[in-house]
This record gives sequence, structure tokens and C-alpha cells, in this order.
Amino acid sequence: MSGPAQQRASVDQASIDALQDVLETEHAALWAYSLIVAYLPTDLAERARGDSDAHRTLRGLIEQTLSDVGARPVSALPSYKPPTPVTDGPTAEQLAVVAETDTLAAWRSVLERTTDKPLRAAALDALVSGTVRCMQWRSSAGLTPVVPTFPGRTP
Amino acid sequence: MSPRGLVSLPVPAGPVRLTRRRLIALAALAPVAGAALSACDGASGSSGPDPLIALARAARDDAELIGAAITASPALTDRLTPARQARTDHAAALETEVARLAGGTPAPATPATSTAPPANPTTASVLASLKKSANDAGALVATLPAARVGLVAGVAACCAAYTVVLS
Repeated sequence: MSGPAQQRASVDQASIDALQDVLETEHAALWAYSLIVAYLPTDLAERARGDSDAHRTLRGLIEQTLSDVGARPVSALPSYKPPTPVTDGPTAEQLAVVAETDTLAAWRSVLERTTDKPLRAAALDALVSGTVRCMQWRSSAGLTPVVPTFPGRTP
Repeated sequence: MSPRGLVSLPVPAGPVRLTRRRLIALAALAPVAGAALSACDGASGSSGPDPLIALARAARDDAELIGAAITASPALTDRLTPARQARTDHAAALETEVARLAGGTPAPATPATSTAPPANPTTASVLASLKKSANDAGALVATLPAARVGLVAGVAACCAAYTVVLS
């Protein structure tokens, strides 16, 4: 018997909090990419724009999801403070690594803070695509291993 | 480099429940995990062997396969060594988690049904194996408890990224 009860599900507060946290990091990543594009050579700037688009899509979906469950999505801050000032190509690449590493940690945290299957599925997909982006920036920045071995794990 | 550099997280509270139509929309973005969900429904019971044992074994097998590929073509050493290391690290982490749940000390997973690596493994066979490992780990993500899901999802994502690197 599949009544309306089966169509409904509660999204608990922990899931909402996790979505707000990942939204914060997506805001920050978008800010980071908008900053670094100007410092990157053409090919990398192109990649940065593509990655920025991917984050914009994720941000939109998170915001929509939060609105639909009745939570007000957190807003972006006017600016963020990079751990290292961005002054040239290499420091720009480093900030891309930071931004991608931050979002990986936040998506992993979503996985750990929700048992909602659709949300976990979305978070896994974001973790997979984010790991590829992180890998590419780590490669550009000369970091090894190029692929993070435990994506999203905070040291 | 400090990885969590940009955001310190204030968390506003919000009201809670509603239908999850949009969560499903968010998940529609997720083909890999979408497949994982259907594969996993009904397989979440606590009976049966720890599902991480198979993942640990697969990680050991991948490391071994990659080692064999390097032996067969030493020119591939630089290209394949990071993946071998990653899979070795995955195996150790998964074995630790298996042991934690079982209340014992970690032991290397031993191949139960030993499928010997192909005689002349190539990058293509490594690629196929990593792809399978990514899918198998991803398939568990829907149902694992919080304490384990981050590790397993990370293993899936790492394997998936290596398939991109090696393609």
C-alpha cells in the first residue's frame, strides 16, 4: 500500500545544516574562481571558468533544495580571505586547490551528516566530480599525489 | 598548504520538514550514485559479512594488478605508481575500519576467491579494475553508517579520478 505517507519524507536538521555548510564553501569557491581567473594563462583560465560553472550549478541546486525544505539558504560573504595572497599564476592555482579541497571536505561532511539517500547520492556525485577538479589543480600546482587519496578527509 | 582556508562556518537554523521533491532533483545530477541506490536497496541489513572486507580485498587486488602492470611495462612506473600507492593506502584504511567494527586488530585482506591477475596486465586492465572499484564502493554509499560513509565515498571518488588520469 503506497499512500501519500510514502511520498513524504522529513529532512532532518542535521541534513539542512550540512547543506548550509556546503553552500558556504560553494559560495567561497565561486568567489575564489572569480578572483583567480585574471591571474591564469589562457588555458587554465578556461578551465577555471568551466570549474566555476560547475560550482555555480551546484550552488543553485543546493539553494533550491534548501528553499524547498523551508530553510533560507545562507548568503555569500562579500569576500573571503585566501590563506596565501593571490599575486600570480602559481598562487592562483594554489587557491583553486584550496577552494576545491574545502568543497570536498564539505561534501564529505554532507555524506556523514545525512542518511537521506537522494542527498547522499548527490553528495557522492559532487565528491567525485570535485575530486577530478581538485586533481587537475593539484597537478597544475605541482602537488603530489595528484589525486587526493582520501578526498574530503581533513588532516 | 592549509586546506580549509576560505570558510569558517556559522550555521543558521531553519525550519525542518517538507517533501523531498527537490532533494530528488538535486540527486538527479548523480548518475553514478543513482545507480548505486537501486543496487543497494534491500542490501543494508546488518547480517552477512562486513561489506568493507570486499572493498579492502579489491584495493589489495588493484595494487597487485598495478604492480604486475609495472613489472610488465617498467616504462609505466611513474604513471602507475601513485595509483598503486593510493590503493594500498585504501586497503589499509578499510582494513582498519573493518577491524574497528569487529573489535580486533587490522589484518591484510586475503583473496578468498583468488582471481589471479591477468598474465600481461595493461593500463587498460588497470583502468577497468579501478572503474569497477569506484562503482562497487559508490554502491555502498547510500546505506553505510555515518562513521564509514566518508571513507568509502572517498575511495570511490579517488578511484574514479584515477580512471580519468589514466584514460
